[in-house]
Amino acid sequence: MSVTEQGLLERDKDTMTLNMGPQHPSTHGVFRVILEMDGEVVKTAEPEIGYLHTGIEKNSENKRYLHVIPMTDRLDYLNPPGNNLAFCLATEKLLGVEIPPRAQALRVIMCELARIASHLVWLGTHALDIGAMTVFLYCWREREMILDLNEEISGVRMMTSYIRVGGVAKDATRRWLDGICDFIDYFPAKVDEYGALLTKNPIWMDRTQGIGVFSKEEAINWSLSGPALRASGVNWDIRKSRPYSGYEKYDFEVPIHDGGDIYDRYRVRVEEMRQSLEIIDQAVRDLPAGDYKTPDNKVSLPPRETLHTSMEALIHHFKLVSEGISVPKGETYVPIEGPRGEVGFYIVSDGTNVPYRVKLRAPSFMAIPGMCQMMTGCYIADVVGIIGSIDIVMGEVDR
Amino acid sequence: MTGEEIIAKVKSSLPDAIQDTALPHGDAVVFVAPDCLQKLAAFLKDDPSLKFDYLSDVSGVDYLIEEREPRFEAVYLLYSIDHSHSIRVRVGIDEENPSVPTVSEIWKGALYPEQELFDMFGFHIAGHPKMERLIMPKEWVGHPLRKDYPLTTEPITFSYNRDFKSELVKSKSPNQE
Amino acid sequence: MGLIEDAAERLGDEVSNLKLNVKDAVEAMQYEYSGALYDAVLTTKLGKVVGWAQKNALWPATFGLACCAIEMMAMANSRWDAARFGAEVFRASPRQADLMIVSGRVSQKMAPILKQIYDQMPEPKWVMSMGACASCGGIFNNYSIVQGVDRVVPVDVYVPGCPPGPEALLYGLIKLQEKIMAEAGTDKAKKRVA
Repeated sequence: MSVTEQGLLERDKDTMTLNMGPQHPSTHGVFRVILEMDGEVVKTAEPEIGYLHTGIEKNSENKRYLHVIPMTDRLDYLNPPGNNLAFCLATEKLLGVEIPPRAQALRVIMCELARIASHLVWLGTHALDIGAMTVFLYCWREREMILDLNEEISGVRMMTSYIRVGGVAKDATRRWLDGICDFIDYFPAKVDEYGALLTKNPIWMDRTQGIGVFSKEEAINWSLSGPALRASGVNWDIRKSRPYSGYEKYDFEVPIHDGGDIYDRYRVRVEEMRQSLEIIDQAVRDLPAGDYKTPDNKVSLPPRETLHTSMEALIHHFKLVSEGISVPKGETYVPIEGPRGEVGFYIVSDGTNVPYRVKLRAPSFMAIPGMCQMMTGCYIADVVGIIGSIDIVMGEVDR
Repeated sequence: MTGEEIIAKVKSSLPDAIQDTALPHGDAVVFVAPDCLQKLAAFLKDDPSLKFDYLSDVSGVDYLIEEREPRFEAVYLLYSIDHSHSIRVRVGIDEENPSVPTVSEIWKGALYPEQELFDMFGFHIAGHPKMERLIMPKEWVGHPLRKDYPLTTEPITFSYNRDFKSELVKSKSPNQE
Repeated sequence: MGLIEDAAERLGDEVSNLKLNVKDAVEAMQYEYSGALYDAVLTTKLGKVVGWAQKNALWPATFGLACCAIEMMAMANSRWDAARFGAEVFRASPRQADLMIVSGRVSQKMAPILKQIYDQMPEPKWVMSMGACASCGGIFNNYSIVQGVDRVVPVDVYVPGCPPGPEALLYGLIKLQEKIMAEAGTDKAKKRVA
């Protein structure tokens, strides 16, 4: 301690170490960060992950391709169809299977519904962290509608496992399509409602504008992806730059802002919800007729009724159920655009019915060092805002 | 650029660094030795017609069962945001001395996946600022994603000693505290 | 004043003293008797009342681990409305909570922390194991997942499902309430605070 000219005691510069997490309501799971504080200002942020390490990659090396799909659901548990799709696309690339247009459209619908549901969870919890409780309750009200649609088509609310290698699990039902049409009519007004609560709200703007800023170059260099990258002004969306599953057929915009702060990430995601609705609208309106899975019986089960008449179908059925799909030798990587950014599976196959190596490219995992870089130099109160704006899901961080 | 053009460009520019190339399913793949990795990475990022400025992911593979030489491999997935093309760099890593130089000075995003390689495969990342476990607990023994690491459950690290179930667990694993 | 009158007065004082003593003794006896009554009847009833109060004001700790945490949040929301059963007050600090819903898979790295959070909760406390992973390891039978949270903390109610829907979780909550009420006033309930 020393005495200043005004006669006040001045403390020597020293820092305080503050532990946040793993049990903290605002870290969105079991994320832990050790903050070194100089008063109210964060000097360094040291992340600590692994509290939800599930060993899914190791487990997948011991399961058949079909059995890996339920495991991918549980990686990023806010976007199960997206993970299914990435895994199935990678497997199909190795197999060289053509997917019928109806199956592709159904996959797109499921993925976009999951994107809206995921953004609703993000918006609700992010607003709750910053102090706006009402939005949380509204978002979950709309999310329940999407979960009901999931239940209608796949039988489960969250972990749908709907997208399979070679197509989808079941054909769309009339009730499901009607439910989606109702949702398309209902939802835009609700997005306006969230906007009315937040977009021009002075408290919200004060807490989000100019905080956690990342420039375009920084965002690319730190491997951010998805909405966080696009909020920094980078025009990069896998759906546009390397289209998969028929995304090139749909007319939609990729929202881009160049502020790079929390507010712009919020704006990008809210606009994305509207664009997702556009895609769903087009996909449902022009839903192609035809098969919902590939007719190739080496990949997907033959129709039930042919089992009684066709010996070949019976053999295929038996082989598929007892042995599973055998994937040719090779390695591949297929990315898709998930709600948090680029989700991709790097699969190595040794020619058997069990994958040799499955690696998930997890957007949340890649974003964590960049996120902690954002925290340095900001106030302690903004740390929760930054964590919320990156929208991490610990299931895919720790895998 | 298409996959063929990328491979031709890389091959003609760095002929002695590239061990092999491949085009599986249209993706450009180059094989490189660990000591040439940093040179290749700097070239891929700085060359204006390639400009691979975005590191998507780094994966490790253990080819123990395939009996391939070298045993390990690190796979770097790169994009160019401006040119919208991609490349996969595969680096074979020796079993005796599994070491690979860091690329985190070129792409900051490589910091975490490289640390994960150390944790899960036991690679030594030369030049990485933080060589310690990332996902597994600090005192963990072994590298789980190696093929010779068993999948089965470990003896639990903690038990609740008033419950009869934990008594059962305790009797099964006497070496625990 | 004669001697006889004097003696009679004294006797009268003695008698009234005696009467007072008897009254005191009877009152003391009555007091004692009522205390015995208190022991015999009221304590058990008080236990029931306490149990009734506890079961209708369960405060869960905000302890979301994985997928199931999302369904746990859904349970607290307006459609499923855990407030109907008095369990909507999610507490961020374990020191204010008396119910831990283990919502998701518990890894080897998380297990000691889970135990610490459990120890920080004031007694009496209850644990619900939500989902297949927390109950038995689920589909993840591997090196990193604790095969059932009951190896770390004692569990009162297991809710199966992957993830269990909010209605399943509410059913588990009702079962826990029944358990608390059944235990109320018995030695089991006393042990919980011991």
